[in-house]
Amino acid sequence: MKPRERCKEKDPYEKFVEISCSSSSRWKKREKMNTVSLNFNFLNDVGRPHVLFRASNRDAGMRRFDAQKMLRSRLGSHRHFEEISSPCNVENLRNTFHMNAMAYLPFSAPALPSCFSCTCVRPRYKRLVDNIFPPNPQDGLIKSNMEKLTFYSLSSPEKLDRISEYLFQRVSRDISRKRTSYVIMAMEAMDQLLAACHAQTLNLFAESFLKMVQKLLESTEPDLQILATQSFVKFANIEEDTPSYHRRYDFFVSKFSSMCHSSHIDPTTRNMIRLAGIRGLKGVIKKTVSDDLVENIWEPVHMDKIIPSLLFNMHDSKYYSSVTKTDREDVKNNPGQMADACLKELVGRASFGNVKSVLKPVLRHLDNHDLWVPNDFAVHTFRVIMFSIQRQYSYAVVENLMYHLDENSNCSAKKRTSITHVLSKIMSFSADECIGPSVLEIINSLLGHIRISAARRQDASETTYMEALISCLGEFTAHLPDYQKVEIMVFILSKIPSENSQTDILLREMLLKSLLIVAKNYTNVSLSGTFPAPLLGPLLRLCSHPETSLLGQEVLQVLLDRHGNLLRLQEPSFETCYLVSEPVSRPDAMFLKKYEEDIYSSLLLTVTDPGHTVQGALTLYTTLALIGIMVNLHTLPTYLALLVRIQDIALNNHSLSILQKINLHSLVVILLNLIANLLTLSPLQAYARQIIEFRRSGAPYMLEDLKENYVVEEMTTETSLMLDEGKLAECLRECGLDINTLSRVLTHRHSWIDSTSGNMRGSNLDLTADLDSATSTPGYQRKYPNEELTFESMKKILTESPEVYKILEAKRQRELFDLFRNSTFEDIVNHNTVKDEDTLQCKLEEILSRTQLSKPTFENQPPIFETLFPELFSC
Amino acid sequence: MDDYKFLFKVVLVGNAGVGKTCLVRRFTQGLFPPGQGATIGVDFMIKTVEIDNEKIKLQIWDTAGQERFRSITQSYYRSAHALILVYDISCQPTFDCLPDWLREIEEYASSKVLRVLVGNKIDRDDREIPTRVGEDFAQRHNMYYLETSAKESDNVEKLFNQIAAELMEQARCKELPRYDDGNLQNMNRRTTSVDVTCCGN
Repeated sequence: MKPRERCKEKDPYEKFVEISCSSSSRWKKREKMNTVSLNFNFLNDVGRPHVLFRASNRDAGMRRFDAQKMLRSRLGSHRHFEEISSPCNVENLRNTFHMNAMAYLPFSAPALPSCFSCTCVRPRYKRLVDNIFPPNPQDGLIKSNMEKLTFYSLSSPEKLDRISEYLFQRVSRDISRKRTSYVIMAMEAMDQLLAACHAQTLNLFAESFLKMVQKLLESTEPDLQILATQSFVKFANIEEDTPSYHRRYDFFVSKFSSMCHSSHIDPTTRNMIRLAGIRGLKGVIKKTVSDDLVENIWEPVHMDKIIPSLLFNMHDSKYYSSVTKTDREDVKNNPGQMADACLKELVGRASFGNVKSVLKPVLRHLDNHDLWVPNDFAVHTFRVIMFSIQRQYSYAVVENLMYHLDENSNCSAKKRTSITHVLSKIMSFSADECIGPSVLEIINSLLGHIRISAARRQDASETTYMEALISCLGEFTAHLPDYQKVEIMVFILSKIPSENSQTDILLREMLLKSLLIVAKNYTNVSLSGTFPAPLLGPLLRLCSHPETSLLGQEVLQVLLDRHGNLLRLQEPSFETCYLVSEPVSRPDAMFLKKYEEDIYSSLLLTVTDPGHTVQGALTLYTTLALIGIMVNLHTLPTYLALLVRIQDIALNNHSLSILQKINLHSLVVILLNLIANLLTLSPLQAYARQIIEFRRSGAPYMLEDLKENYVVEEMTTETSLMLDEGKLAECLRECGLDINTLSRVLTHRHSWIDSTSGNMRGSNLDLTADLDSATSTPGYQRKYPNEELTFESMKKILTESPEVYKILEAKRQRELFDLFRNSTFEDIVNHNTVKDEDTLQCKLEEILSRTQLSKPTFENQPPIFETLFPELFSC
Repeated sequence: MDDYKFLFKVVLVGNAGVGKTCLVRRFTQGLFPPGQGATIGVDFMIKTVEIDNEKIKLQIWDTAGQERFRSITQSYYRSAHALILVYDISCQPTFDCLPDWLREIEEYASSKVLRVLVGNKIDRDDREIPTRVGEDFAQRHNMYYLETSAKESDNVEKLFNQIAAELMEQARCKELPRYDDGNLQNMNRRTTSVDVTCCGN
């Protein structure tokens, strides 16, 4: 087929545009003068005296230039050549000129054959490409020719690179001549070819395609930029299976990021450009993350552009503040939502190593734009990240934010508080995924911040910050399994300092609050599970320390409470029917039996302190009542003994005020009533009622309500108003319990060292004080303080280094020395001599007589191992 | 046609309001837009200049001067061939910030980057920084120095042309680390050669 080009137009230019350039014979026939004059006429007709000429236009080479020269000479002085920039019919004009110039060639060129070869050897792919463009740009691509081109490129894919190359040249030319409609058409053709291409051949095509996109993006026209982005996105959606070694995307990242920040005057256009930018970035991400050979999109140089651009749009569109909008149409047209989706996609593709490179620019952006205070946007951003990140990496986000908090430890408390709030908002996402050391790492880091903050000058904002940290800790631990909560509580306890400096008081309080918040999320199933030895010991020590006893006991209460009794036990009352209790399980009973002495003696220390308040007594009531719910018949005697001991403190401790004593007496009777009712032991119930009745008539101030201030001159200590051991023992016997236990527990309560250790609060003696007194009881083996012959203690000796023991020993010594050095002589005498010798005397006699009497039963006393290891022999 | 021989990236930095955008607009579009709003993030322009009959394409990245966009603007320094550091001769603080900018350039830009100090707004009467001071500063920090006015179009063309010439000189001496590993340029060269073979016959 002879190449033939016939261009027809319906507009006024028709008369001269019809040019045939296919056969040389016809060219010969054509008179050059005609053409030129025709051209001349046309120019006159249109009334546009310009002919386009562009010096940079090189592809036609010298021949074109000759033609132009000739044309110029023909046109003479009438017209001169200059560049025309915008009018739309210029395209036609230009086209015409191009054709004309071709037409002139034979006449300007001296040798016809060379020209002949030029037109005829013009490669087929070029002709095919040229044919798809209509003479009139309004007509759009010529469909049938486009199909021909597609077919050709499919059947001979080796030509693809040339086709695309040529298309690119055309586009470059059209852009520089501002023939926008042809550019759009070329892009459309490119898209169609791209879609038709097979994946294997895509590589040949892609380079020119990307160059074309870049060319379009470089233009200042928003339309072209948007068009280019659309094509790029189409390209990005194609899955490639061949490696692409040469492809670079950094221009695209730079340009798309720049588009995301468009500040075009017209808001609609601005939105369009920004949207295009975001889509483009999305495309780049899609293209690069799956392909290891091309750019590493996670490099900071790219991330520093992509992330701020996305965040800028998310923040700028303000849509995050109105989350309710979920209009589908809106997602497409709102840059903010688009950016949101893009960020989600990006984060979703991040592997563990890349999480950091995503988060770093995020944190920097939030810093730079002051988006922490208020932190709505920061919260939103991190929500988005947490929702889209692969679950197993979510912990890394928390970690990074934590580091950021570390870095900002010198910033204003407000900013720190805000960061912490964000942290606590995202904690819940990550807690499930945390394992082992990472949990403790996070806790440790939070505790570290609490410590730093506690050391700072305190003001309102600093306090808010600490509270935020604590609530963050709570939020985090709430999502952990219970066994980890116990570990964390042990960990927190290990961080509580024991020194007495001023800052440490605050720190201790804060750490205890942290402990409390963890404890609140814990559900107690079994006592031994809840209170492993490393938790119980330090906690009890804290409970016995006057400064920390309230918070310490609160922790204890929260941990003990299983049935929500805690709230009901805030106010003392004789009414007990509203308490929820269940039969005490065997392991719990065994646990209580094992530790009751430790627990009770450390709790007793709180009331022997002369500085204790009504609140202290109330707290003790709540704690003891909660323990009471756990008490069964086997642990009842010790519990009763405890009550008697409290009563004795109230009777005999002279350092307590009358009010404190009254409150203690009230406490005793309330608890007696409570335990009697809980266990429904009628003799005990009757006895409790009896005392209550007596007090109601004799000393009504020793009843239910613990008093803040109450003026009473003299407190009655009439025995009928008090608990009597004999009566209690009798009650127990009536209930069918062995009273030996009670009497045994009761007998050594007056040991002199008891009161000494009571006054030496905080000393390590407290837990073993009663053991020492055991020496006075026959049948007991002498035991050294701090040396329990239990399996635990043996194991401790084996596992712990002797240093620890030595340190403890030294500390004990020091405390003892301090006591003796620093107290006045009178005090020491008071502490170490028996205050009321008469009582001692008579008690001694009483004991002696009792042992005399119980001589025969003494033989029946349980063997020593049974008393030492009660848990092994309890039923 | 896409037949440039060299492609250079030029990045403009400097405090907000010193006239970076106006310089770029004046050079690329020949306009002086009055009441130009603050640039957000980064703006992009392209212009081809001709030096010694060679076409040189300049990719000009116009960055925002505001502090809050610092992180995104810094990311553009790295691939730059030339950095134009602009200050306002009628505003002392913009000059005082130059050491900070230099520190930032040291940190984020390539060590071989061509650095040019530009004192803009010489059309203004209330000059605060004498030419001498600017020159001294530039000399001390091994930078080129030029005073311009985007409004009056003084020295704007000269500025970019000199940069292009200098960069081309460097590139010819192979000193310049090729942007894109020369890939893009190679492709472009090939384009040119294809052109020659197709149309030259």
